[in-house]
Amino acid sequence: MTQTTDLLTAAPPPAARKPRATPRSRHPYRTALSTARARTGLVLVGLVVLAGLLAPLLAGHGPTDQSGQSLAGPGTPGHLLGTDDLGRDLLSRVLYGIRTDLGIIAVAVPAGAALGCLLALVAAAHPVADTVVQRVFDLLLAFPGLILALAVTAILGPGRIPVVLVIALAEVPVFGRLLRGGVLVQREREYVTAARVGGGSGSRVLVRHILPNAADPLVVQIAVSLTVAVFIEGAMSFLGVGVRPPQPTLGAVLSQSMPYLAQAPQFAAGPLITVTALVLGLSLIAEALNREIRR
Amino acid sequence: MTAQELLEVRDLGVEFTAPDGSPLRAVRGVSFTLRRGETLAVVGESGSGKSTTALALNRMLPGTGHITGGTVRLEGRDLATADDAELRAVRGARIGMVFQDPMTALNPVLTAGRHIDEVLRAHGNRDKAARRARTVELLDRVGIPDPHRRADDYPHQFSGGQRQRILIATALAAEPDILLADEPTTALDATVQDQILTLLGDLNRETGTALVLITHNMGVVARACERVLVMYGGTVVEDGPTAEVLTRPRHPYTAGLLAAVPRLATPSGTRLTGIPGSPPDLTLLGDGCAFADRCTLVEDRCRNATPPLARVTGDVRVACLPAAGRTEPLPAPAPPARIDRPAPGAVVLEADGLTKTYGGRGARKRGVPALDGVSLTLAEGETLGIVGESGSGKSTLARVLAHAHTADGGTLRLRGEDVTRPSRRALHAVRRQVQMVFQDPYASLNPRMTVGEIVAEPLIAFGIGDRDARRERVAELLVLAGLDPAVAGRHPRSFSGGQRQRIGIARALAPAPSVLICDEPVSALDVSVQAQIVGLLTDLQRDLGLSLVFIAHDLAVVRQVSHRIAVMHRGRIVETGTADEVCDRPRDPYTRALLAAAPEPVPPAARPERVEKTRALA
Repeated sequence: MTQTTDLLTAAPPPAARKPRATPRSRHPYRTALSTARARTGLVLVGLVVLAGLLAPLLAGHGPTDQSGQSLAGPGTPGHLLGTDDLGRDLLSRVLYGIRTDLGIIAVAVPAGAALGCLLALVAAAHPVADTVVQRVFDLLLAFPGLILALAVTAILGPGRIPVVLVIALAEVPVFGRLLRGGVLVQREREYVTAARVGGGSGSRVLVRHILPNAADPLVVQIAVSLTVAVFIEGAMSFLGVGVRPPQPTLGAVLSQSMPYLAQAPQFAAGPLITVTALVLGLSLIAEALNREIRR
Repeated sequence: MTAQELLEVRDLGVEFTAPDGSPLRAVRGVSFTLRRGETLAVVGESGSGKSTTALALNRMLPGTGHITGGTVRLEGRDLATADDAELRAVRGARIGMVFQDPMTALNPVLTAGRHIDEVLRAHGNRDKAARRARTVELLDRVGIPDPHRRADDYPHQFSGGQRQRILIATALAAEPDILLADEPTTALDATVQDQILTLLGDLNRETGTALVLITHNMGVVARACERVLVMYGGTVVEDGPTAEVLTRPRHPYTAGLLAAVPRLATPSGTRLTGIPGSPPDLTLLGDGCAFADRCTLVEDRCRNATPPLARVTGDVRVACLPAAGRTEPLPAPAPPARIDRPAPGAVVLEADGLTKTYGGRGARKRGVPALDGVSLTLAEGETLGIVGESGSGKSTLARVLAHAHTADGGTLRLRGEDVTRPSRRALHAVRRQVQMVFQDPYASLNPRMTVGEIVAEPLIAFGIGDRDARRERVAELLVLAGLDPAVAGRHPRSFSGGQRQRIGIARALAPAPSVLICDEPVSALDVSVQAQIVGLLTDLQRDLGLSLVFIAHDLAVVRQVSHRIAVMHRGRIVETGTADEVCDRPRDPYTRALLAAAPEPVPPAARPERVEKTRALA
């Protein structure tokens, strides 16, 4: 290429001349997850998830087995956390409760996120579709979460499916709006015009160029939404429209403990501490991701 | 220190902390003095530390920046160690600041008058009526017409130039001794820039406020300042009277920079002179002259010892070891070479009466047309320069020609074939022929993809070659654009502006187009790098037989690279002709105004007096 230009041969490509001392090849998410904040979060969430997964091994009793001793204090032989008002082992109820909770939010949040993102992509395709999708989001947002929960349960009856449905529906507009906003911002950027001029088809430009650049906030939102989902599940069980008893959930155990708060405060402690640890852990992870992405 | 000396900076050092904790020395051992009423230009390219120096003067350093050493004495008081209360008393009252972007420097919810009122009140003026009177007086002084009424207008009701005037009025409200202007005209058009520089000069003469003007533009230096400080790699390399420095540069960098500035008088078809290499990476700078790597007169001792800023003659100080012993002037850079290019052939691209109006949905929102009946032709192997100020529709024209937008009306023909509103298949074929290079090398590359993926993207889109063939072609394209093929695995963020622009050019060349639309390809680049990119484009044109549409706002660059020039104003082409003809014998008053406003790096004494100036526009 010597004939290309004399000026350029005189100028060695500086990239070759001085290799960077520290190539920042690490993915920002990995950097984020290696911070102290995120590690604390990962440990908290990890402990709770592990406890839930290992529930059959850790719990000495079935979650619905009654022992005859009601409201036993913590440290009672055979019942580490004591028993509830019906004489069921609290430790097993909390551990199995985690299982139920995780089973619900692990399905509901990704489902809601996927549906929301799908709608956002539809909205990005055409102005008319955008208007339709926006009104759907408005409709979903117009219902306060609990009213939606009550409405869904009124139709379907209490149970696991309605809880999943309510959480997913609540997340659809959140993710949809977020991605739609990101797509609208990225779509005006020059590199997108460059990709279109470079011959990329509409769908290729959307998937290959716009989506990866608009996806960062979604990752943060997933962590936030998991937190919200824990709360929604808890609230629904607390109100008695959640998973059908006697199957334990964290919210149900908490709800059950309320009348005895004065005489047996340890009853509420188990589920409360678990929910707190889970929510705190997820929030720490979300915060760490968010900080790294904003940089 | 005599009474004449207002500000004395000694050995100023500023450091930033990089995200990974390593220090970045943005300013290293900068010393200079500013006399009362003086006009001092601080000139340098991006990363030279000129803005950081200015911000350090009143300790307004952003983020992790902090002063690591040295003193900033304002009439004997050291600002580098002053506490916050002292600094507040200095900011505004003693040192006023004007920022680069007048669009964001004014608070959109406050009126123009309120901005000035705030400053007056902060500096102890308690009388509301007096403040109002002073506000109106200041707005009148900076040339805002009808200041009584306009003081109550909001920023969006003013034009860019007027906003900059309001900012200047705000900076002057507390009658500071020093006006610090950080690139005050960079975001403005040439004709407006001229007016603002005139205003700054007048204010300096009338009020005796010393002016420190930070700029990257040698033309602005020549136009507005008596003394100039040339910065490179965080240090001052040359300091002296403007007339002396611009006509007899002592430092090789100053000489190179001056040679790199395109001159309006240079005829079409002349190669731009650049400085080889790219600006230094401040994190890697060690001992020795920062310019050593790019200097043609480098000696061994330059690499080992940091050259001190030493007096050579009269008022001129230079930081160059060989310069001290040099008696004769620096060897003039090689006379600009002609570009050996073949004569243009048959017409390739033809536009006839193109119109385009942006607007929302519905008929009511229709705005001013961005293109209003534009007709042009582009021949094979020809460069058509398109010049115009912001809002003249030149970027819209580029996008319509490259089919990034469709025209509302008119016809566009590619080799005789109507491609105004092509079908999906025809569009694909057209896009293989017509490619585009973008203005902003930072925004036009997808930050998530590697360089290799970016360049290969059009190959995939057009279904050219298999995986191995594409990898080979990418390497070939990178070499063609003057890059090392090994960079294919890296992300765009680790490249400088000039290198990114090369990546953009490699991408545009990927499908082997015959027409390349370059939308302000060099306006985001430093002058010393600009020549490399322009040179690359002209060489590629010669080697590949490309037809180029070269859009820019700098007439001098356009004249040198173009065969023909079209001047755009308000969505219309007001004048077309061969490049030399348009520049030497402009017929349209708008072209004449553009030519008159272009700042040239020639000190006023050596310049023939221009009569027309910007009157044609007013």
